[in-house]
Amino acid sequence: MHVTLSIWQALLIALWVALVESRILGFSTLTMRFSPLMTGMMVGFIMGDIKQAMIVTAAIQLVYMGFVAPGGALPAEPCIATAIAVPVALLGHMSPQGAIAIAVPVGLLGSYLYQFRFFLNTFALKPMDKYAKEGNARGLGFAIMGIPTLISFALFIPLMFIALYFGAPVISGLVANIEHGTLIHVLNSVGGGLAALGIAVIMQVIGKKQLLPFFFLAYFMSVAFAKLDISMTIYAIFGAIFAILYVTFTSKKSEN
Amino acid sequence: MSEEVAATNADVQAPEDVQAEEHRIPQPDKITNKDLMKSWFGWWWANEVPHTFDRMLAPAFCFGLIPTLKKLYKDKAELAKAFQRHLLFFNTQATWGGGTLTGVTISLEEARAKALANGEEPISEDMINNTKVGLMGPLAGIGDSIDSGTVQYIFIAIFLPFAQKGNFMGALLPFLCFAIATFTYGYYFTKMGYSLGRAAAKEIMTGGRMAGIIDGLGVLGLYMMGILAGQYIKIQSYLKFTISKKTFDVQDILNTILPGILPLFAVLMLYWYFQKKGLKITRGLVYLTIALVVLSIFYVI
Repeated sequence: MHVTLSIWQALLIALWVALVESRILGFSTLTMRFSPLMTGMMVGFIMGDIKQAMIVTAAIQLVYMGFVAPGGALPAEPCIATAIAVPVALLGHMSPQGAIAIAVPVGLLGSYLYQFRFFLNTFALKPMDKYAKEGNARGLGFAIMGIPTLISFALFIPLMFIALYFGAPVISGLVANIEHGTLIHVLNSVGGGLAALGIAVIMQVIGKKQLLPFFFLAYFMSVAFAKLDISMTIYAIFGAIFAILYVTFTSKKSEN
Repeated sequence: MSEEVAATNADVQAPEDVQAEEHRIPQPDKITNKDLMKSWFGWWWANEVPHTFDRMLAPAFCFGLIPTLKKLYKDKAELAKAFQRHLLFFNTQATWGGGTLTGVTISLEEARAKALANGEEPISEDMINNTKVGLMGPLAGIGDSIDSGTVQYIFIAIFLPFAQKGNFMGALLPFLCFAIATFTYGYYFTKMGYSLGRAAAKEIMTGGRMAGIIDGLGVLGLYMMGILAGQYIKIQSYLKFTISKKTFDVQDILNTILPGILPLFAVLMLYWYFQKKGLKITRGLVYLTIALVVLSIFYVI
């Protein structure tokens, strides 16, 4: 027997995922995104079985316990995973463990979608530079908040709707197919390389060529000590010490 | 009266003209707790919404500052410059990093706006940029491990038994507790950053050590950029070729020459491009993306 969600149920869940993944509800969406709990609750509410939804979600939560995203990249999207896995578990009367088996690959695909959102933002937010240059606060506000929200909704609502309405098993199969494909590889490479731009911009903005050795010093320290997993705070202390030494020695010289 | 004199002088001497121009910049409005709340809320709300690969959270930071900058810079050109400098690469954690730096930045911008209006030597744009760049990393390191790594999971762990029994409070309570707690102490950090920044700004303006401090912050900024470059930029070669049954792995060869050479090469190419052609960010973005796509399609990277 093949049971599916109604169009409205699928649409509402898709809308919820878009609200969370667009992050339009502010920093509080952190728990909504990192933890499956709120999504599980909403799915239970939409499907009219909060109790069972919460039990399944609690099992999924244990998988994602301790997830943190240094620098903003999460290895999976618990919210998306839950939005697919809980309906399937409720409709198919599956055990929480069965739901986890669906959730994990879907969560992986979700993290690529989230990265794809950054990718689209990178290009679509360009008008903000124009508004900033004009000193146009309203235009700037719209470019920063309006455009990325529209992008997220256009990205997540149709995809989540299709996935929910036509069934999560299809999605799991799809994930397995493209996970090692060229598309994901290109997306990963572009995402991994684009950070070079922002860093080069700051180097140009700081603009003092005679200070560049400190960039190289830090770069090779971080490459050489990568395995030691040194925290940002320790590096910042090193940086501060170098800064103090530099200022102390250069000012001494000018006094003489 | 004195303005008139300045104006007459301006007709004769060109350098005076510049000064007279500066005198016409209107005084900024006073910054109140309400403004700090507005900016903190703006950053808190926008936070991850406009996240991009090349500037990370800078647009969100700028979004939070919009109402405050409007109060500080009545002069359109200065306002535009302020918007533009806060759209440059910025990444930090929301409360510990973003809250504190929102406060610190507002205090520095306020000092700058006042000095511009009074015709004194203002806190430079470099000073503001370098302060942000130097502090954003360490504060993010603290914030990530405390907020998303600890506080969040304390609330989840406390209320998870509710969820396991099928009670929706097990979802709602950790969410509400985390949202309220982080919003509250984030605002506290904003206020703290503002008062700390004000004290520092006063010290800088009166101490006559501006150049040294800018240099020091430049060292710290470039140093942190080097660390970020080493940790964030992920470019490696997947190219392998076989000559007379021996397989050569290009990344292995590169590692023996100089580890981390590819990310460094990408940054230096862009830096060199900006040095030659000026800060053309959009072009840089397009060229870099094309290069990354083409190279990765053929699995060179």
